Amino acid sequence: MAKILIVDDEPHIRLLLKQTLEELEDQGVALLTAENGEQALATVRQEVPELVFLDVMMPKMNGFNVCRAIREDGALKHIHIVMLTAKGQEFDRQKGNEVGADGYMTKPFDPDEVVDKAREVLGMSR
Amino acid sequence: MKLQKILTQQNVLSMVNGVITAMGGPIAVHSCDGVCLLGQNGNGAAQKYPIELSGNVIGWVTGTAEAMPVAALINHLVVREYERKMLARETLDRYKEISLIYKFVDKIALCLNLAEVTKLVIEETRKNIKSTSASVMLLNQRTRNLEIISASGKEYSPKTTLKPGVGIGIAGTVFFSGKAEIVNNVSLDPRYVKGANRASSLMCAPLKTRDKVIGVINVSSEEPADYTAANLQLLHMLTSQAALVIENAVFHENKLKEERIKSNLERYVAPQIVKAIMDSKENIVFTPIKKNITVLFSDIRNFTTTCEQQPPEKIVGYLNEYFTHMVDVIFTYGGTLNKFVGDMIVAFFGAPAMAEQNEKRAIEAAIGMQKRIKTIPAQWIQNNFHTGIGINSGEVVVGNIGSPHHMDYTAIGDEVNTGSRLQSMAKGGQILVSRSVYEATKELFAFTEIGSVQVKGKNKSVEVFEVQY
Repeated sequence: MAKILIVDDEPHIRLLLKQTLEELEDQGVALLTAENGEQALATVRQEVPELVFLDVMMPKMNGFNVCRAIREDGALKHIHIVMLTAKGQEFDRQKGNEVGADGYMTKPFDPDEVVDKAREVLGMSR
Repeated sequence: MKLQKILTQQNVLSMVNGVITAMGGPIAVHSCDGVCLLGQNGNGAAQKYPIELSGNVIGWVTGTAEAMPVAALINHLVVREYERKMLARETLDRYKEISLIYKFVDKIALCLNLAEVTKLVIEETRKNIKSTSASVMLLNQRTRNLEIISASGKEYSPKTTLKPGVGIGIAGTVFFSGKAEIVNNVSLDPRYVKGANRASSLMCAPLKTRDKVIGVINVSSEEPADYTAANLQLLHMLTSQAALVIENAVFHENKLKEERIKSNLERYVAPQIVKAIMDSKENIVFTPIKKNITVLFSDIRNFTTTCEQQPPEKIVGYLNEYFTHMVDVIFTYGGTLNKFVGDMIVAFFGAPAMAEQNEKRAIEAAIGMQKRIKTIPAQWIQNNFHTGIGINSGEVVVGNIGSPHHMDYTAIGDEVNTGSRLQSMAKGGQILVSRSVYEATKELFAFTEIGSVQVKGKNKSVEVFEVQY
């Protein structure tokens, strides 16, 4: 079963992203959540999801560090990582490339874009 | 909402499991179709408690009497989960709207071209609202008609112009009321005006700016679409953003048009008249109309012979300097430069603007011209340019006349010819006027009566007066 991990320290963003991806859940995709970097890394290692929506600004371990740690692990290299960044706070593309992120989205995110991205990565048609 | 989905959540599962274990007795949770989801299916369970959500049974808790508080707990969890879900759904809908508006505004905000911006608005609207065609209609200030500026749809061709008078049709009603409308069965609405696109259902929303409605956006569907209040609300949000951008584009376009007219006008009339024309609320007409104006003709006597003494490029230089001074005087008295014909100058007073005391201003200009020649720095001009001026007034046809490739703002009529004839009779330094000019200004200037002359092609003779200055 395909898995998507949603990582954000703000509960309402997690809830909204889950709600956004509900249609995929109905088609058998498991939606996992994590509320900080450490938890995210642990979940990634245990569950090995196909796709991670990863918030950049988080206390303790930020999204860039999580991303780098995932990329350093040979078994997790294939995981598609989309960074989430707040609108107005310019996404550091260079940093994103450095740590090996596959792309980024700004919050408030566009729900359609999120679903399209997930379908694309999971190879699901509309 | 399915009971399975709630019970598979990790925290819910462990909590309910814990409670069942603590209760001790054989307790089981079933889905409404009888699948055991949790606990032991104790045989001959004495009690059966429903799990309900908004009046529907979605599962059962069976077992001993202890099953009751378990059912109560699950019921509570289900309701909470349901509420949370609804809230999340509602928030997500709002979130979608915000994200849509963001994108919409980002796309159209910087566009100043009216055709382009309305096209974008239609594209974006149709992307978000199910429809087979859409159009932007704006009020044409001149004709007071609502005109399609941009449209999309199966049968649309850019030439289509649907022009219901304001107040006619659904679009007209919405334009006047300023309130968006849904018409889900168009054929039953007597206001409907057939357009190029067939429509069964439509929505129409006003394009409102701060203080007025400038047009409407129509969205329609060939198949019955059952547009909802939520659809209308979305259209309303899009139009309120679009209205400001469209107004801006219209403003920009008018400004450009004005600039073009202005730069054209400035070649013929004084800047202050251009300003008066641009500022005036009334429409200045350039299409030919009958109008009472005064025409002034001025010509250099014996120009050809005079010119023989000088090389042509020198003559051109002198002419340019002479014309510049003459036009300056004409403009000073509110005249309009009509044209130069060789060394002749034709000027109007009273068209296209400034219609008061045309005769007086024309004579003042003529005197000014005669005097100005004597002060032009080039001595050669002072010595050799002697001009005769003729002035006549009366009704002529004035406006843009010509072929589509070349139009001139000019005047046509007998009175024009008479003016020209007076000029040809005037000797160097003389200003000759007709009776109509004399009558209008006899209290203001001194005249000498010359008498009547026969004008070529006219039965009546013309009375000629010379202005003393």
